[in-house]
Amino acid sequence: MRRTVLGFGLRALGFGLWGLGFGLCAAPAMAQTELTGTYMPVMHEDYIERGPGSFLGDFTGMPLTDEGRAKALLYTSNLPSLYERQCLAQSAGVFQYRPVAFRIWKEFDLDGRVIAWVLGGDHLRGDIRVWMDGRPHPSINAQHVEGGFATGVWEGDTLTARLTHLKMAWIRRGVGIPASDLTTITLHVTRRGDLLTVTSIQEDPYYLTEPHVVSRVYQLAPRATDQTRQACNTANEIPTLEDTGEVPHYFPGRNPEEDYMVRTFNLPKEAAMGYAETLYPEYRKKLKGLYTPPAACSERAPGYCCGWIERQGLPGGAPNLTCNDGGFADLGPRGRRRTSSER
Amino acid sequence: MIGRLNHRGLTPLLLALLVSAEVNAQGRGGAAPPSSPRQAAPTDLTGQWVAVISEDWRWRMVTPSKGDFPSIPLNLKGQELAEAWDPAKDEAAGEQCKAYGAPGVMRGPTRLRVSWLDDTTLKLETDYGMQTRLFRFGAGSPPAGPRTWQGVSRAEWVMTGTGRDGRRFGYMKSVTTNLRPGYLRKNGVPYSANAVFTELWDVHVEPNGTRYLVITNTVDDPTYLQSPWITALHFTAERDNSTWDPTPCDARF
Repeated sequence: MRRTVLGFGLRALGFGLWGLGFGLCAAPAMAQTELTGTYMPVMHEDYIERGPGSFLGDFTGMPLTDEGRAKALLYTSNLPSLYERQCLAQSAGVFQYRPVAFRIWKEFDLDGRVIAWVLGGDHLRGDIRVWMDGRPHPSINAQHVEGGFATGVWEGDTLTARLTHLKMAWIRRGVGIPASDLTTITLHVTRRGDLLTVTSIQEDPYYLTEPHVVSRVYQLAPRATDQTRQACNTANEIPTLEDTGEVPHYFPGRNPEEDYMVRTFNLPKEAAMGYAETLYPEYRKKLKGLYTPPAACSERAPGYCCGWIERQGLPGGAPNLTCNDGGFADLGPRGRRRTSSER
Repeated sequence: MIGRLNHRGLTPLLLALLVSAEVNAQGRGGAAPPSSPRQAAPTDLTGQWVAVISEDWRWRMVTPSKGDFPSIPLNLKGQELAEAWDPAKDEAAGEQCKAYGAPGVMRGPTRLRVSWLDDTTLKLETDYGMQTRLFRFGAGSPPAGPRTWQGVSRAEWVMTGTGRDGRRFGYMKSVTTNLRPGYLRKNGVPYSANAVFTELWDVHVEPNGTRYLVITNTVDDPTYLQSPWITALHFTAERDNSTWDPTPCDARF
């Protein structure tokens, strides 16, 4: 533990020196880009996870430690429904997994210089305030907050931010994959025309065996309303839990969804349990002979897999391309789409 | 607007601007301006890169079920074709590489080897499906010929600034056309011969020296898509070249 905390301190110090060094020596003279605006997520990757929500027991694409895997398997989706957990902030990195827009703006010092870029707007997380004035990261004993403490530099037209002092939070939505309060995140934010690419690199000494890397694309939405952070109010979401004092969880080895991906997608169990080796091409070769694709979606129960989903009646879906997306929208069962001749 | 200006393939103009910037930066009597796209490269894309499959794992690492195409904005025609996918038919037609065309193979569990073929041509090889794509810089006419899995890729450097230490920043933009119709996803999600595949190539270097290649992709295909399919891919640099493992196209797995 001491070594880990020491490691965090060194990393925070390193980030501080990194920011200072860049600020003094290598700050681009003419490379910054205007990032201000509201950005909608382009949901063309990890759609199920970012929209209707992950399948339970789906840790694919994650490099988890044994401890991280064990902790994730204790999770039940009833857990965030407890009064005291409903308004907990989410991880600063979880915006990469959320289906809502976020906003970027800048803040100025008294001389009109940009002192910080801020990523914010989602009511479930704190702002990420990226200090641009070369200030060092604070002591390891400083308060940890939802958005962490972030310093940034411009590398060409990419804003690179290093986040420390984050709170313990789930890395992905709805499956219980944990991050500790010693987690750090690096963000690379690049705007090209109306597209914004955000690459996040998350490290965690307890729960990740290697950095968890995600790259997402967002689209500038100048007509979007400003994304505000509304006050979070609690409600009794699960009446049967009322006044019981229970904390929903599964005991080790008792999670009934531990083999959900085996049952549903014919994957070997280890493939879905977040081992780092599953992230690399060699693993596909290991799967050869062990995996056969499940039956076609049209032959499976509604909700198994969906085509392009008509999002809550909004434009974007083609006629008849609706399906049961697990409750994200009231779309009804997928059913058999009529062919051209049947219509 | 900035992006649109950069989309014109005006490599000579960019080079001229680059030369101008270099001269200004170096003052009188500085080093000679870059004479070729290879010399002008603001970022180093060469080397061996490995895909990190941390997104869309179920659709990229294994072949998903027929009809499993969430995330891809298929139109009705595209959906009908995807639902008619028959790998046996592809094999019989000698088209087992349909999922290894440029827009498909880049999302696969692959390694990339990037090297300069000459001063104006960047070569990309994949071990997954053993494909080769050439990125040609310059404003010359594309080579005539039949459509291929990898198509014809035009490339340009887009300069984004210069640091006080003289370090130049920029990225590669490539536009690939003349594609033979193929699959965006291994389970027969189609793109047509009209598809235009645009990629923006960025390299991020972490303080510990780890290098990430992040490619922002747009597939425009009005034939089968309701809207452009926009994604970002990431690879990490490898020092150990022994992991390179060429495997031929496979229509099923």
